[in-house]
Amino acid sequence: SAAAPRPWRLFGAMCLLRLPRITQPLEKEEEEMAALMQQIELEKSHYSDHEIRKLEEEEQLKRRKESSYDEDEAAGKTVIMAQDLEEKWEQKFLRFKAAPRITDADKSNDRTSLNRKLDSNLMLLVKQKIGNQELWLLPQAEWQPGETLRSTAERAMATFLGDHIQAKTLGNAPHGIYKYKFPKAIRTEDNVGAKVFFFKAFLQSSDLSQAKLKADYLWVTKKELGDYLNSEYLKKVNRFLLD
Amino acid sequence: AESVTPESVSPHALCSFSSCSSWLPQRVPLRGSHWQSSLLQLRTSLPVRAQPKKKKKVDVKKEQAQKERMKKKIKKLEKAAPELIPIEDFITPLKYSESNRVRSLPALSPEESERRVLLLKKWCVFKQKQDEAEKKAIKALVESQQEALKELRLESEELYQAAIRRDEGLFPFERDGPSYTPPLPGYDPPEGKCVDITKVYTQ
Repeated sequence: SAAAPRPWRLFGAMCLLRLPRITQPLEKEEEEMAALMQQIELEKSHYSDHEIRKLEEEEQLKRRKESSYDEDEAAGKTVIMAQDLEEKWEQKFLRFKAAPRITDADKSNDRTSLNRKLDSNLMLLVKQKIGNQELWLLPQAEWQPGETLRSTAERAMATFLGDHIQAKTLGNAPHGIYKYKFPKAIRTEDNVGAKVFFFKAFLQSSDLSQAKLKADYLWVTKKELGDYLNSEYLKKVNRFLLD
Repeated sequence: AESVTPESVSPHALCSFSSCSSWLPQRVPLRGSHWQSSLLQLRTSLPVRAQPKKKKKVDVKKEQAQKERMKKKIKKLEKAAPELIPIEDFITPLKYSESNRVRSLPALSPEESERRVLLLKKWCVFKQKQDEAEKKAIKALVESQQEALKELRLESEELYQAAIRRDEGLFPFERDGPSYTPPLPGYDPPEGKCVDITKVYTQ
């Protein structure tokens, strides 16, 4: 269809999210409630087989101490008590060392690493040249006729992270838009400004060693976005990001 | 069975009839067919061919009647309503209702029950605030998307139609949830065998 050419240039940008790997710490009310629920469950329950065995063995020990050592029962048999079993299990648990929740990257505040802030979403920011300025932006590429905006955004992701990136784009529709007019020096009748359409994708693989990052990049949380993006852009981006 | 003429009983003639006896020495007298029990008494051991046996028709009828009775029984069993599969979770095993199982704990003090009631009320308020915040966030998301689609429509109808098309590859969407600690690199889990003892019922 021969429509009048619009004065806006179109860009597709991709907001690539690394989803959280560990659970967020509980709030105070949540912790209190969890403790209460456990207590109520304990009160309403009956004794299990293991607990009955423990109680019986305790009574046996008491009886044996009161009535002077009854050797007939324990002659030759080495009985494993339930208490010993519990201690053995406790020891085994203490010997296991889990991976720490706060990683080295957290401590050194290495913002290029993906191992940071494992309990929140991390977003990819790249340094791109717009006009004559180098800005921190979500990776974007100009729309070319013949492709959909989603494929533009995916192409933008591929240019910065390589082709073998495994990301699941959430749907065909854009999640947000940032519209800006070019400075008066560059503005013409046909070229008033640009519209950047944002798409969201979830990072599937955590292994990005194959990715050849060509520009400066950062993985930041929503709160840290303010350190890098200008306010108007940030406002529009914040609207479609959940904490 | 091979037809052996009673006249010629010479071992040489008999050799030619039985194929498996080629390795035996010629001196041993052989039997031409298994109907011949001895070489000298030929006629007596041949089968007596008398009247053909009467097929007992009564038996056949009885067998057919039996088969029909079996079929009717099977049909009756199938027509009966299928037995309900018991839900094992709803049946408390009897050994857990014995009296020695009841836990003996001190009764709740009034301060404790007061604290619990207040905590439950605080929890209600906390959850309500959390829910409202979630709903607000979702509303903001939807608004942002609607605005983007509106602007896109102003730009080009074709791109708009491509954007509102359904994404077939999106669902079913699977993702592993977060755990308490991140996975330990190079962890070798202990070996073991898991035996599944769930009872499977068929109707």
